[in-house]
Parts: sequence; structure tokens; C-alpha cells
Amino acid sequence: MRSGEPGGVAHLYVHLPFCAARCGYCAFVVEVGRDDARDAYLDAVLAELERERGRLGALETLYLGGGTPTLMGAGRLSALLAAISPLLAPGAEVTIEANPETVDQNLMAALAGAGVNRVSLGVQSTHPHLLGVLDRQAGPDDAARAVRAVRAAGIPRLSVDLLLGVPGQSQADLAADLAWVTEVGPDHVSWYELEFKEGSAIASGPHLPPDEDMSADLYEEAVEGLEAAGYRWYELANFCRPGAECRHSLAYWRARDYVGLGVGAVSTVGGGRWRNAPGLDRYVAALGRGDAPPRTQEPLDADTRRRERWMLGTRVDEPLDMAWAGSPDRPAALDVLEAGGLLERGRGTVRLTRRGRLLQNAVMQEIMDF
Amino acid sequence: MDQSHIRNFSIIAHIDHGKSTLADRILQLTGAVSERDMRAQVLDSMDLERERGITIKAQAVRVTYTAEDGEAYQLNLIDTPGHVDFSYEVSRSLAACEGALLVVDASQGIEAQTLANAYLAIEGDLHLVPVLNKIDLPAADPDLHARALADLIGDDPEHVLRISAKTGQGVKDVLEAIITRMPPPDGDRTAPLRALVFDSVYDQYRGVVAFVRVMDGGIRTGDRVRAMATGSGFDAEEVGVMSPAMTPIGHLSAGESGYIVTGLKSLVDLRVGDTLTLAREPAPEPLPGYREAKPMVFCGLFPVESDEYPDLRDALDKLSLNDASLVWEPETSQALGFGFRCGFLGLLHMDIIRERLEREYDLSLIATTPNVEYEVTRTTGEVLAVRSPVDLPEPNHIERIEEPYVRCSMLTPQDSVGAVMGLCQERRGTFVTMTSIENRQQVVYDMPLAEVVLDFYDQLKSRTRGYASLDYEMVGNREGPLVKLDILLAGEPVDALSMIVHRDSAYARGKGLVERLREIIPRQMFDVPVQAAIGGTVIARETVKAKRKDVLAKCYGGDISRKRKLLEKQKEGKKRMKHVGNVEVPQEAFLAVLQLDGQSTR
Repeated sequence: MRSGEPGGVAHLYVHLPFCAARCGYCAFVVEVGRDDARDAYLDAVLAELERERGRLGALETLYLGGGTPTLMGAGRLSALLAAISPLLAPGAEVTIEANPETVDQNLMAALAGAGVNRVSLGVQSTHPHLLGVLDRQAGPDDAARAVRAVRAAGIPRLSVDLLLGVPGQSQADLAADLAWVTEVGPDHVSWYELEFKEGSAIASGPHLPPDEDMSADLYEEAVEGLEAAGYRWYELANFCRPGAECRHSLAYWRARDYVGLGVGAVSTVGGGRWRNAPGLDRYVAALGRGDAPPRTQEPLDADTRRRERWMLGTRVDEPLDMAWAGSPDRPAALDVLEAGGLLERGRGTVRLTRRGRLLQNAVMQEIMDF
Repeated sequence: MDQSHIRNFSIIAHIDHGKSTLADRILQLTGAVSERDMRAQVLDSMDLERERGITIKAQAVRVTYTAEDGEAYQLNLIDTPGHVDFSYEVSRSLAACEGALLVVDASQGIEAQTLANAYLAIEGDLHLVPVLNKIDLPAADPDLHARALADLIGDDPEHVLRISAKTGQGVKDVLEAIITRMPPPDGDRTAPLRALVFDSVYDQYRGVVAFVRVMDGGIRTGDRVRAMATGSGFDAEEVGVMSPAMTPIGHLSAGESGYIVTGLKSLVDLRVGDTLTLAREPAPEPLPGYREAKPMVFCGLFPVESDEYPDLRDALDKLSLNDASLVWEPETSQALGFGFRCGFLGLLHMDIIRERLEREYDLSLIATTPNVEYEVTRTTGEVLAVRSPVDLPEPNHIERIEEPYVRCSMLTPQDSVGAVMGLCQERRGTFVTMTSIENRQQVVYDMPLAEVVLDFYDQLKSRTRGYASLDYEMVGNREGPLVKLDILLAGEPVDALSMIVHRDSAYARGKGLVERLREIIPRQMFDVPVQAAIGGTVIARETVKAKRKDVLAKCYGGDISRKRKLLEKQKEGKKRMKHVGNVEVPQEAFLAVLQLDGQSTR
């Protein structure tokens, strides 16, 4: 395995898996009803941090994701942040994910004090009937209350997560979500299409995903609405006010190295990727014994890395530098795609057009031999 | 054995009416196969046959039966194929016999093929013993069907045997009837050898094995033999009988049936229907009735992966060792690359070959629309045999086109006669006659074979809730106003989708086809126009709208491998598509042409 980037890994993810309930669309590694394990889990994550410290350089970004990270409680989160903060570079982006119903001003104040400067709120929808389809815990007023709490605590940056393609979601529903976002005015919006992932409750339930035309309509409506409100469509599913990109996510899309701590977390360093196995108890037990957590290794050869750089790099609106990414497997396809208005080329660079972005998978299939 | 103690017989039955079960029962009852060795349907040796419940290859099995008169008889059961595609083979098997059991399911009654084969047997002066099988079934109506059966062959209903091959009930009576009601052979044992080849198989170790009925004279191991039609010569390496395993006995005399190991390397050298005679003392005249097995249905077979082309050629080579009626020649398609144009006896034969290629040789194939052989006269007077729409000359160079017609005989319940006639009319049929047979009607139409080889049989079944049955025979070529219908994808004609159709149905076919293709062809990166055209004039058009969205909207650090694997999986799906120009076409599209029902869905 090659060593990572010079200066050490600059991006750290910590997975905090506890949840009050599993949402209908969720296929993540989450732990429901294990609040009793939170202290032991914190110790285990701190132990894993110690094991991985040698790979880390000055951290440009830290992302606490889940699960529902806020369910760890202010004390444990502060302890975790206190342990990491010596590693943070000046001006580092420190994000925590939060579900609206778990956010209150005290918690936010504590997190702000511990160095959190960005909150990503999992709003998903402003409609009670759609939140019901998703099995979300939040009520319709929770989102607004959470936004007020974040701001009152003086946390400068706010992102909102929304979903499109929820069964039963109409274009009018989406327009209402847009109106809400415009009114609240977060500096960052992630508007994901609901995925019917294998293993989630919704995939085995009675609901069907909307057809291609319907979901394309919704997608375009979201993009156009947010752009009209002054957001930049800087990544396939992400939008920001000027300068407010999520630096942590950009690191993924730029194929940078990152380390993930916690159960189920993935790390990519140099030529290798590994994933901590799911299973809270095994994770805690291994680190308790002073061992590495159980992991699966995935070696990444040069071709895989090259294809991933294309797959990730064409998600963002910045041109992909082909000298950096490597050559496409089928360069001739670029001409066809350019002529068809799906991508545009600069001097040694490639960027998807607006239409091309909605067809990113198909474009990849044309260019690359996955 | 003395000819008076020999009986050569076959069993005529519709698929599923119990021929194989009865044959098995006869083998058991005569001790040819022990209870322990009894595999169901011993005579159907190929897996595919077993699965489909049909017999493709005829064989001859010798058993010895001690009758109630106390004498031992040699019974030669000559198995016949049970499907219309193989009617020539049936006729040769029948020609090897003096009698036949006419077996009919007591709950289903007579079917069209039974009828056709019964007529063949009657024309060949065979003595028929009518048998109603499955009388143990609750739905059996033996009285009704016994009357119909007796009517058909001009016999007394009392003479119809009522049996259950499954339970064994009445099978002994069948054996007695074979002895008492069927005549023994009466060949001239002193005349020069004349042996009818009624089947042949290729064995990879021993070469071609001929199944023969000796009509006159006799043959011994080591004799120098000549096939009178093909002119092939060979030494009889082994002469024997199936009982039911191959058993060498050294000689066969007039009246007997058995096998000859020829050592010939290909079935092409020894055709079914040929007459074998001795080189040192040839017969002056061959036996009558030899006919070249003529392919009736043609289609292109192309490997999905072009690098499998040599494998496909090898597989066809091997299959034709075993099947002289399969013909093939290389064909190149702009759309599908290198492949072969193959000729088959009929649709079932085509399906069987395709399935064997895919199953036994692990090939993934695209089959183009089946078509018949057209006889095209150019304006110059030159006559061409056109087996592929691609070979049809330009319209202004065509003087006339003739297409093969078949006489279709369909047996159907009274209440479905309208549906059957409607279907035949739609498919350009000409009414010939209608006759009632007990509670059913026999409807006879002359139809263009081209209309029958598409989905006619399926349609006939579905419109009569499965009750109608079909048999057909060639009645020669007839002229018709035929045109070539081209399909264009993204403006480019796709040769593999072209077909020759009647001018009057071209519009409906074209419209139906482009509609179906629009549904089958997945949305692509760009709009794909799908057009049907005749001689450059577009008669129908649809558009496969460009894909609008194909993206996985979320991708974070924990997700990269999953997303990459998703793309790899998508790629797998695309491998099953064929690139035609810039358009990805799924394999089903090439079969879309087969489904003509509801020609236009709008």
C-alpha cells in the first residue's frame, strides 16, 4: 500500500451510530436503543483515534456523522471534540449532522463552544405526510425551531438536507420545500434523491420510486428553484451560497485521502481503502482489548483509482483536470458526448453540462470501462 | 426368425397422449427392461426431449413376446417423432412398419397431428390398432372418443382398446392385438438386399449408425454396402438390434429391423429415406419415397459476443453431425456482425437447435426473425432462392415473388371455429374445407408458410384456450404481392430487423413493430427515431425519447466503492445489449418481430 498524501491525511470523519429509531429509507450502520453503550463507544472511538493519529496531518475538515450524532449528548461530544481539536488546522471546517427534533439551544451552545462551526440539519421534507412515508421522527415545526437554535448559538454555517423523489411527493410539495428553504436561507443545501437501497424498509414496502420523467422533473425543479434563490449547483446534489461549499465533501469528490473512525466508517489512504465492520459490540470489544477494530480491506489499483477520480470529479462544477485524473478508457466517447451537448472540454479539462450532470452514470459508462 | 413371427409396428400419438409411457410399459412387460432399470421414457434419450416431453429421433427396439398362443414373437417397435416439423421422418418410420398403434388420450380425443399421421399410415396400407389411453383419468370420455377413433379409420368402436399405460391396465391386450391384428412382413429373403434407412444418428466413437428395416434380402457384418440415393459406400462394421441397448447379432434378414454401424463420418452421407443395398449384388430399384430433407424455415444466428463466432461455428459443426436436416452458411449482418443463416425443418426444430446451442455449448445467441425461402424472378428472367430479406433484390428488379404455401389442418372444438377461421383469414389463409369429427371440427386452410412460422401456433392455442391442434403439409409455391419492410434505428436500416411481408399488411406490421421497439429499446443518451420503411418510404415512426436522468444523487466518503460497484453492475447489464450504430439494442428487440398479436396497440 502506498503511503498517503504528503503532510498526512487532512480530512477526518467520525461515525456516531446511535439513533432513536431507524428511518424507513435508511440502510446505514445505525444502532437503535443502545444508548447505554455510548460511553464505551466514545472510549473506543478515542482509542481508534490514537491508533490512527500517525496518519493524520493538520485537519482541514472534521465531520461528525451518523446515525444521529447529537444523541451522543453534549458531554460526550465535547470530550470527543476536545480530543480532536489539537489536530485541527486554523480555520478548519467542523460539521455535525443533526436531526431537527434533537436540536436545542443548550446543545448547540455547547457544540459551538467545543469548536463546531457548521451544522447539517436532516430536514428531508417540510411535509408531515412525506415525513410519515420516510418514518422520520421530526414534526413540521421542529426544523424551524432547530434553525433558530443553531443561529442563536452563533454557529455560523448551516446546511439543510432535503429529499426528492419521495413516494407521493408532487411538484407542488417540492415547491413548498423550496419556499421554505428560501425563507430560512441556509448557506448550503443538499437535495438528495431518495434511493431505494436494498436493506431499507422502504425498498421492501408498498411504495414504488417515481418514474424517470417524474424524478427528472422534480430534480430540475429543485435545481432551478435553488439557482433562482442565489445558490450555486456546485455538485450533483449540493448547492451553496458563494464560498459556502462543504469542504469536507469536496475532499471526497476531489478523491483526497480521508480517515473514518467508528463502527462502519470507511477510510481511503493512498492506494487502499478499508471499512470498519458493522457491529457496535465487536468494535468496542476490539478497541477495548487494544486491537484494531475488525475491518475489511479493499486494495485500489491504479485503474480503479483513475476511474474513481472520473466518477467523483465529474460530479462537481469545476473542470476535471485530465492530467490529474488520468486518461479515459474510451477517449473517442468524449467527442460524441461533446457533440451531443453532454460535456464540454477546455484545455485538458472536462466538465459535464447541465444535461450531462443528470446523466452522469450514463456518461461514465460511455467513457469508462467499469 | 421366420417372418410370420415378426411384427414391425409404430405408435402414432399426439404429444402427451402417452406414447412414451406405453412404449416403456411394453419394454417392461416383455422383460426387455427390468423393473429396477426402468427409467421413465427409456426411448427418449436426450435430456431436451425428456424435458419437452417429445421425441425427436426415431429408434427401433426389438423385444420378444410370448403370446397367448404359446409362440414367441419378435416385435420391433419403431418409434416416431411426434411433431409436425418431423413429418417426413414419421413417414419413413411408418414405411418401415406393417402396422401402427393409434393412441389417443381418452380425455383429449384426436388431435390434428394424430389425424395427419393416421392418414399417412392409412395411405401406406398400415394396419391400425386404435387405442384409447388414460382411461383412468376422471375427465376421460372413452365412449365418445372410441366412436371418433373408429370413425376415423373405418373400424368398429368395439375394437378400440381401452387402456391405461400408466397403471398397465390393458397393455397385454395391446400386445395380443399387435400379434393378431397386424400382418407379418412378407419380404423376399432371396432377393438382393433392400433396407430402408428410417433414422440415423451420429455417435462420436462409431460414426453414423443407421436404423434400418430390411425389406428384401439380408445383411451381415462385414458386407460392403451402398446407399442408393447418396451413393455413399461403407462396410457394415456391426449389425445388430436395440434391445433396448445396442446388441450385435451379426445379421438382419428381410422382415427384421435393427441397426448398422457404418463408420461414415457425417449424417450428410446417409440420409433418412435412403435404401441400402449390397455392393456385390445391388438391387435394381431403390425403395420408393426418398426425399431430400428440405429446410423450411431460416433465421440468422449471431453470437452476442463477437469473439464467440468460432465457438458457434464449431457447435453448429458438431450439431449437424447429428442432424442432417440442419443446414447453415456464414452470414454477415451490419447490425449483428458475423453469424450464420441456418435452415430448419420447422419452428420447433429451430427452437431445439437454438436451445441446444445455448445450453450444451454455453453460447449466448441472437436469433433474427424466422423466414421462409422465397422464389424470386428477376426482370432478367433469372430465378433466385431468397432465404434472407437482405438478399431480396431492389423492387424494380423483381418480376415476381413466390412464397411457399402449406395446407393447415386444424382440429378445434365447435365453439372456437370462428376464432380459428378469423386467425386464418388475418394471416392470409384461403379456406379449403371443414369437416366435423364427433364433437369437433376439422378446419382446413391454405396458408403462406411465412405466416405460420411466426406466432401462428401460439395464437391458435391462445385463441382456442389450448384446445386446437395443428398439422400442415407443403402445397407448393404461390405468387404474392410481397415487399421488404425495413426498420431504421436513428436513421440507419437494421438489416437484422428487415422482413418480407404482404403489401396489404405492411403498414400494420410496420406500425406495430416500431411501437414495440419503442417499448423494448431503453432510453439512450439521445433521442432515437424508430422507423418502418418500404423501399425508402417511411410508413411509421416512433421515438425513444432521450434519457433524462441517470445519476446516483448522493455520494460521500463511505459510499464511493458502492457507487463504483453500481456502475460495474450497470455495465454488466449493458453487455447483454447489442450495439447497432450508436444505439444499444436489447436482444429481445430482435424477437419483437415475432409478436404480431394486436399489431398496433393504439
